[in-house]
Amino acid sequence: MAQEEKPDILVYDLGGCEGCPLSILRVYPQLSRIANVYSRCLGPVDLNREYDYAVITGPICLNSVEHVENLKKIRKKSKIVIAYGSCASVGGIILYARGGQEPRPEHRIYAPISRVVKVDYSIPGCPPAPQMLISLINCIKRGKGYFLDLFRAVSYFPKLSGFDLMDEVVLNGLCVGCGACILSCPTNALQMIENRPDLIPEKCIRCGTCTVRCPRFSQLLIRRSKLFEKSRLLTSFER
Amino acid sequence: MAGVQPIVLDVEHPIGTYVNIYEARALDPRIASMRRKGGAVTAILLYLLEKGIIDSVIVARKKKGLKGEAFLAKTPEEVLQAAGSKWSIVPYTLGLKEKLLSPDVRKTAFVGLPCQAQFLRQMKMFPLMESDFSRKIYLIISLFCMGTFAVESFLNYMHRSYRLQPEDIVNIEVVKDKLLIIHRSGELEIDISEALPYLQHGCLTCPDYTGVFADISAGRSPESDYTVLITRNKLADKIVKDAAGEGYIELHEASVKTMDAILEKGREKVFRSYKYLSAVL
Ligand code: SF4
Ligand code: SF4
Ligand code: SF4
Repeated sequence: MAQEEKPDILVYDLGGCEGCPLSILRVYPQLSRIANVYSRCLGPVDLNREYDYAVITGPICLNSVEHVENLKKIRKKSKIVIAYGSCASVGGIILYARGGQEPRPEHRIYAPISRVVKVDYSIPGCPPAPQMLISLINCIKRGKGYFLDLFRAVSYFPKLSGFDLMDEVVLNGLCVGCGACILSCPTNALQMIENRPDLIPEKCIRCGTCTVRCPRFSQLLIRRSKLFEKSRLLTSFER
Repeated sequence: MAGVQPIVLDVEHPIGTYVNIYEARALDPRIASMRRKGGAVTAILLYLLEKGIIDSVIVARKKKGLKGEAFLAKTPEEVLQAAGSKWSIVPYTLGLKEKLLSPDVRKTAFVGLPCQAQFLRQMKMFPLMESDFSRKIYLIISLFCMGTFAVESFLNYMHRSYRLQPEDIVNIEVVKDKLLIIHRSGELEIDISEALPYLQHGCLTCPDYTGVFADISAGRSPESDYTVLITRNKLADKIVKDAAGEGYIELHEASVKTMDAILEKGREKVFRSYKYLSAVL
């Protein structure tokens, strides 16, 4: 392969269970082959410089001024922002956090980062498998494809879970019984009953995996995102 | 590598990106004796299995009524047996997870519908879970699909209009614009338009006729008794050519007429999906 300039990637963790940073940590060797990686695991990071990619893990705590400021700063300085993992992209299990716990009882509202800044690609998964990030960056470089459209589309939906799958696809009569959602759910919250998935609400950690794997839902997301993009152009709305 | 090409599906590319389109036929006497048309997919699976390239095949098998279940074939005999009851009337999920998770499946070929090829490809390219069994799937074969049936209402209709019992239906094939229903005491041909209201609603929004996310897409040729094979990457193309080289199949490039017919079908499905999708947005 011809030597091309490696892009600079900032990996930045906002919090959460550490599952996502760990998943990324495991591909550092491969990642450094295609990019210059900057992360707190490799030394101090500079938020005042520019990056080609910012990979953000963890939810944004809306009560924490410092985190919100940092996130906004990263957005300004980075060409492409990737919300990596369920918490950063679609809410995930942290949505259930109600605050009141020690040691930071004042923190109650954890949101996907797309509620605060514009995100370019959102990757659900709790956590996504390590190989995911490499595939994604290669795909972004190539610049085209259904799945790329899909992960872009997810950035417009700060909430996606088994509940939405039920509402939008199954109860809407669009389910074809292909089984993708069942095969994708990490907690077995979905079960096939008479060729249609059914949700066990208590088991759903709102990771969103099922929604992007569902051929019907993914198609809806992409179409809706294109409509959003159009209307956004019309009103030139920017977060 | 499989599936690295950009995947686009629109009216201009209704059958996605591909390397080659062939028409093929099984040469294997074991398949010829089954009196099934084409049979190239079965022959390729036999080739892969007998040469030790894969250790198993996951296909659909007919269950009670019109339902399908995943069937794991590990020997040529089992592949042939599965081909005898090939079933693509509804996507099959029953037992699929267990089959994929089973420890004696390490390198398998999956035969399914375009929607299933889509999520398996996504699993392979973009694993969202550690436990995604993508590495086990060596080859994804997708069968052409114009839509699958809402089982109960279709069966009900068959019974009401033709006195056909679900147990008596052996197979259903789409031949040109007709639905060929093979049952215990013969064959019944009905117009596709007649069966259309009994398709699953979700299928009406599905734009994918051939299975653009598969390695190989296959379906009956609308113009001949051959199987059309669409290879979508180098590996898939090599497999098809090698299977021909080893005498499992007979192969030639698809005629312009066949290609046109498939493109036409693909376009029809894309348009249909646009129409229905705009209704549910
Ligand atoms: S149903 Fe399963 S896959 Fe879907 S959001 Fe809930 S936990 Fe995740
Ligand atoms: S993935 Fe979507 S279409 Fe497939 S079974 Fe689940 S809800 Fe139905
Ligand atoms: S029409 Fe599409 S969704 Fe329906 S079974 Fe065929 S491939 Fe699956």
